[in-house]
This record gives sequence, structure tokens and C-alpha cells, in this order.
Amino acid sequence: MGTDTPKDLVPVTVIAGYLGAGKTTLINELLAHDHGLRLAVLVNDFGAVNIDAALIADHDGQTISLQNGCVCCSIADELGDALDRVLALEPAPDQIVIEASGVADPANVAAYGQGWPGCRLDAIVVLADAETVQAKSRDQFVGELVVSQLRRADIVMATKCDLVTGAGLVAVVGWLAETAPGAPILTHRAGQLQSELLLEADQDINATSPKRSLNGSTGTAESNFDSVVIEVHDAVERDRVEAALQGWPESVLRVKGILRFHGTADGLHIVQRVGRRWSVERAADSFNSEHRGKLVVIGLPGTLHHRDLIASLLG
Amino acid sequence: MADMTVFVARTVRTMEPSLPVAEAIAVRDGRIVEVGTLDTMRPWLESQRHEIDDTFKEHCIMPGFVDPHLHPSMAAILLPMHFTTAVGWDLPWEDIGPVRDGEQFLARMVSLDTTLAPGEPLFAFGHHPIWHGPIDRSDLNQISTTRPIVAWHRGYHSITVNDACLRWMDTDTAAAVRHPQVDLDAGKFFETGLSVALRHLRGYLLETERFLAGLDRMRRVIHHGGHTTIGDAALGFYGFEQEWEHLQTVMEQLDTPFRVQLMPFVMGPEGDERSDDEFVERVLAYPSRSTHRLRFSDHVKMFADGGFFAELLMLKPPGHLDGRHGEWMTPPERFEAVARALWNARRRIHVHCSGDLGVELALSTLEKLQWERPRFDHRFTFEHFGISSSQQVDRMAAVGAVASVNAYYVYELAEAFAARAVGYERASQTSRLGSLERAGVRFAVHSDFPMAPAKPLNNAWVAANRLTESGAVMGATERASLDAAIKAITTNAAYVLGLEEEIGSLRWGKRADFTVLEADPYEVGAAALRDIPIWGTVFEGHKFPISSD
Repeated sequence: MGTDTPKDLVPVTVIAGYLGAGKTTLINELLAHDHGLRLAVLVNDFGAVNIDAALIADHDGQTISLQNGCVCCSIADELGDALDRVLALEPAPDQIVIEASGVADPANVAAYGQGWPGCRLDAIVVLADAETVQAKSRDQFVGELVVSQLRRADIVMATKCDLVTGAGLVAVVGWLAETAPGAPILTHRAGQLQSELLLEADQDINATSPKRSLNGSTGTAESNFDSVVIEVHDAVERDRVEAALQGWPESVLRVKGILRFHGTADGLHIVQRVGRRWSVERAADSFNSEHRGKLVVIGLPGTLHHRDLIASLLG
Repeated sequence: MADMTVFVARTVRTMEPSLPVAEAIAVRDGRIVEVGTLDTMRPWLESQRHEIDDTFKEHCIMPGFVDPHLHPSMAAILLPMHFTTAVGWDLPWEDIGPVRDGEQFLARMVSLDTTLAPGEPLFAFGHHPIWHGPIDRSDLNQISTTRPIVAWHRGYHSITVNDACLRWMDTDTAAAVRHPQVDLDAGKFFETGLSVALRHLRGYLLETERFLAGLDRMRRVIHHGGHTTIGDAALGFYGFEQEWEHLQTVMEQLDTPFRVQLMPFVMGPEGDERSDDEFVERVLAYPSRSTHRLRFSDHVKMFADGGFFAELLMLKPPGHLDGRHGEWMTPPERFEAVARALWNARRRIHVHCSGDLGVELALSTLEKLQWERPRFDHRFTFEHFGISSSQQVDRMAAVGAVASVNAYYVYELAEAFAARAVGYERASQTSRLGSLERAGVRFAVHSDFPMAPAKPLNNAWVAANRLTESGAVMGATERASLDAAIKAITTNAAYVLGLEEEIGSLRWGKRADFTVLEADPYEVGAAALRDIPIWGTVFEGHKFPISSD
């Protein structure tokens, strides 16, 4: 029986949401986006993926390789088979994105990310068409499904927000927040992808600052998120950290860091939070003990107060 | 040598309203020449070289039984396994008694372990916690520490394995620990966790030699049930071309005493509107592949909600007892779009629907399509028909629908569903047949084998009696009449498959397919239907006794 350490595992993001929620549009944007990552995107239907022919380096029927190092791969019949295919790529992908089927329970798809050999789950992102989601939630056949998908979300992303009025958007965001309590509600407009929120691999805790500025320099307009780096030199109380990860408001969108806990001799721990999902895991041995404790936190503009964050971690 | 064979019988039940009872059937070249008595047949007897075959002079000849909905490929995977179900299975090679409780379950596993060659994996199908209690890997380790053991759940969606099997599957322990649907301590892989296990097991289960042996067992099961025609209700689950290849290898042998009507299935992938036409094109191309025993026609299969045994049915309010939701197998919007494309291409659509919301999706789609482009005789068929309402039945009648019902749900599941899944009122009306009969909706009953035993007489018995395994009657008003129950495995089953001009009853010109019984079902009555011994079958004029098999 094999074993692996958290470091070896490729993070998996599940993009879910009912038919018409904008999953394919988002995935097309992710593939074409200049994020500098090697993404492997698993889709239900190749036919719907619309990739600029100039970007395609190779197409073998099951997998489309792009010039930017990303691959797009058809799930065809078996999600597990598709995962095995992309995990076998050399070099390995930085992150895997799975497009869930529109009628799938996102938790069932996420289970692959959690437990397929070689993977771990980063987050479940559930998309909702800002124009139609409320009507869909009352539909005789799919109403319950639409609502239960939203309740599985770590992050909810309202899509097609450019198609609704300002007041309409406020109303739908309010409804989403009520329907998916605890999950941050992001808004998406066509062509304005916020990949730093969707992709964990974007956050590099070994760098002294976030890999790149998050304030609009990613080439997408209106990508305005705040980011703070918290240096934690000493050991901290595990209970406190867990309470903080659990208790920070929805406006804290992503947290990734490495910390040493009091009273544990077993080295460093990786802490993460994406939307309302958080975890604390022992770091791989390859993280040497010299490593300084540090957290990178991304949140909505104006909501991250360095001192408050430190206070809730350290007391 | 005679050109014509005349079979004489104590009774011939033709299932033809114009001549319901006869004494003799003349057969030439695999087809019926005439049905009647030796006296009324005299013009034929005088003009044809013939022989009289009185093998059945003490028997009742029925039209060859038809089960319009079962799954040969799924059976091919399951039949090589060892059955440990709470309800016994009378299989041609083995009469497996019921395994009623946890103690009997472990005893059966121990005895299976002693019969297998060292190292051969033991696959046991049929564990169910309601009857057998929980099991975990330590229980299975006690049976063997060296032989891989897989205990497969009766509902198919989970397995429990021992340590030897974990090693055999080269289990990634860390991944298994992280997986929310793998309980490594218990050795249990369920729902999506099952995919992790199947990653290794699939190769073994689908290995050609094993699969062909499974299909061959399937062939014997079908013959023993007295069938001469079956419907494969979803060809292509494990890979269309491979299944098609294997089916030809096994089913087209000269001694196969039945034909298979193949229904390709369509599950609409999402997001690609262009694919509707591609489906239609593909479906239209299948009939050119038909062989003598394996045939495609204008019938296609679609899926609405999830399965009944798996408890993934979609329900209208008040839903499931525990508040769970079922599953759509096809997104409702796609369902409608694909159904429209198939409807407009004049296909006959069969829809798998288990719960009343699944029925509602199929029914409201059919109502819409009838409004847009009315069709007569479209044979839109509701398959399984687990939970429904009598109002839905009236609407089905209004738009010309037919039904192919899994009556067996009542026998094995109605009581458990009453207690644990949907409450008594709906569970007792599972597989409503009385309402269909009163509304004039034609219906067949099917086994969905390997979900239920492939025994048409047993299905007709459940339909007409609605007795459960414990002996209780569930929903007496939803019983089918004796006549409707027999039609449901003969004429109406042929009608559901669109083969009524060729099989399903006995009259001139039809295929000489008979099921030969030791007693006349109309004489023994509904209560004794399942106990009637079957002599065997006649397929296209050739005798196939069960005793020689």
C-alpha cells in the first residue's frame, strides 16, 4: 500500500452549479488566462470548450494541450480515469479543476478530490446565474437540487452579473448569502476572471510576498482584493488557530500558511482556508524546520486588518 | 421429412381474443401456420407433408414469455459472483437458499471460502444491513487473511473488503483515509468511494473470459425463466462496442433459444446543443447492425431519475422520510431537448423513471411533445414506475403512454420502503398496476434482471397478488387481474417492445415461440402462478426442454 504526503498531492477545485450557471464560460476563461500555472481542467463535454485554435499545441482526442502549459481533458465516462491521466502528466499539473455535471451533487465530485490517490480537495466553487438562479430554485424538477448545490459551496460565484441591474445584483447576492450561509459570495462578469481566488496554486507561502500583486495587475479588470502576509515567528496554540480559521468572517476568502504549534513535537503544519472550508495538516518533511511561520490572507477590499488578524491568532 | 410440425397440447392459451383457447399449432419454417384443432386444421394437414408432435399432450402451451427490460451485461458481471442475498435465488446451476441474518451470512462466506481455489478472489453479492447487520473488514479477515474477499451490497453501490483485498487492490492508504466515502477501518467503499476500488477491480470483473462466462450463465437464466424474447434495456453501459461484440459471441450460438431486442440508451451530456442531432443520427444507424437474434429497432432508452433499489428516486413532496434527495440521471432541460429530437425522428422512447417526480418529468415532457407534434401509437413507455399517483396514470392514458413495470419491488422492497424510505401509503402503492388496468393503459411487467429474478411467472404472480416476502399484502387495489398479469408477460410485453406483429400471442404468421407449462395459469389461478413448473420452450419451432440444459 502506498503513502503520500500532503505536499505531493495536487489540489483539486470543483466547479459546480446547475446547467446554464456559466461553468463552461468560466473554464474557457481559466484556460485562456495568463496565470502562469499548469492547470489540468477536466470537462464533461469537449464540444462546448471553445479554445482559440492559436493556443492549442496538441490535440489527441482525449486531451488538448495548450501553449501556456495547461491541458483540457475530457472526463468521458470515468472521472477517476481522467484524474489518473492528468496525474500521470510530466511535469505534474499545479492544480486540477473539475467541471461537475449540472445535476451532480458537488460533494460527490469533491469526494474524488479528497480521496483519489494523488489528489486533495482545495475547494468547491458553486456558480449561480445571477439572472435565473432564484427562478430555478423554485422549479418543480430542479429547485431542490439548485439549492442543495449552493449549500455545498465553499465559495459561491454569481455569474453573468453584467446582465442584471445594480439593484437586481444586490437582491440576488443577498438571496445567495441566505441560501448558502457561511460561504463568501463573489461576483463574476464576462471576461473578468479572478483566478487568484479560484486557484490555490497561486498562493506561494515560500515567497516573502504573494507571488504577484493582487491589485489589478493580473490583466483582468476589477481584480481588487486585499492581501496581507502575517509573519508568525513563535509557536502558537493550535486551538486558537482553528478557532480563528473557523471564526474569521466570509470576507476572508483565502488563507494559506505554515505554522508551528505549541506542545507538538511533530514539526510544521499547513493551515488553509478557502471560503468556509478550512484544514490543518502536518506539513511534509521536506519543509525544513528552519521555516518561519507565516500566513498569507486574501480578502475583500478594506476588510483585512492586520492587527485584528494577529490578535485572533495569538490572543 | 415433414415440412410442417403440428404440436398438440392439452391446452393452447393463444392470448388472442379471437381464438383464446386451442388444442394444436401447426408450424413451418419457424413460424405458425395455423392455430386450432386437428379438425379445423384439416385443409392444411391435407395439403402439407407434416408430422404430429405430441410431446406436449399433457401440457399447456403459452406464447413464449417476453421480458422487455433486463440487463445482460450487468448480469454477466454479477452472475460469476456468489449470491448471499436475504431472498433466495433459484439459479439454473444452483438453488441458493436465503441468507437471513448475520450469522448465516458469515457461515455462507466461510463455506464459500472452503470451495474456492487458494488465492482466487471471493466476490459475494447481496449483503444488506437490514437483514445481515453491519459487517466490516475484521469480520471478513476472520474468513481469510490470504484470499481477497469482496462483499457486494445488494443495492450495488458499496462493497466491504478484507485486508487481503486491500493488498490485492494496491490500496493507497493515505488517499483512502482522506476519502469521505471510504471507511478504511471498516474496509468499506461506497458511492464515489466505490470508484476508487473499481479502479482495480474493474479489470478483473470485465476480463473477457469471465464476462463471456457470465453471459453464458445469463443465457441459461433466460431459458430457465421460460423466455423466448428479452429486451436489453440499456446496451452500452460498460462500453458499447465491447458489449456488442460479446453479445454476438454468446447470443448468436445456434442453441440460444431466444432473441434479444436491444435498446441503445441516450443520456444527454450537457451544454452541447449540436449533439441532439448526433444522437439521432447514431440511433438511426443501429438497426443496420441487427443479426438474427440480436435486433435493434426504433426503440430507444432514456433516463429520468435515479434507481429504486439504490434509493435515488426523485419524489414530489413530501419526499423521503429522512429528507434526502434523489438524483437526476439526465438534467431535466436536456431530457426534454433529447426527447424532442428523438420524438421528431419518430423514435419510440422508453424512460427509466422510479419516483413520482421522475414520472412527472417524463409525463410532462410527453404532454408537451404531443402538443407540439401529435403522434399516434408512439409507444412512449414508462419503465419501472416505482412511485406514481393515480392522477398521473389518468394523464398517461390521455396521451397514449404505455408502461413496463417492475412489479417485484412490491415483493422485496415495499415493506422496507414503508418503514425506512417513503412511509406506508406510497410504499403500499409501489408499482401500481390496478390503476393502469382500470385506466386502459397497456402494461408489461419486467424483472430488470439482475435486479430481480428473471422469472416472468414470478413477476406475474407478484402483479396479481401483491404479496411481500413476509406474506403481507401491499395495496390490494393495485393488483392486476389474472388476465392482465399474463398479458403483461406475453402480448403486452411484446407490444411494449414493438414486436406485437411477430410475437406475444399465438396465431398464423407469428414466430413459433412457445413457453410450455405443466399447468394452465388460467386454471390454477393467480395465487399459484409462480409455482407452475416450466417444461421448457419452443423457439422458432425448435424444442428446448429445461431438463436437457
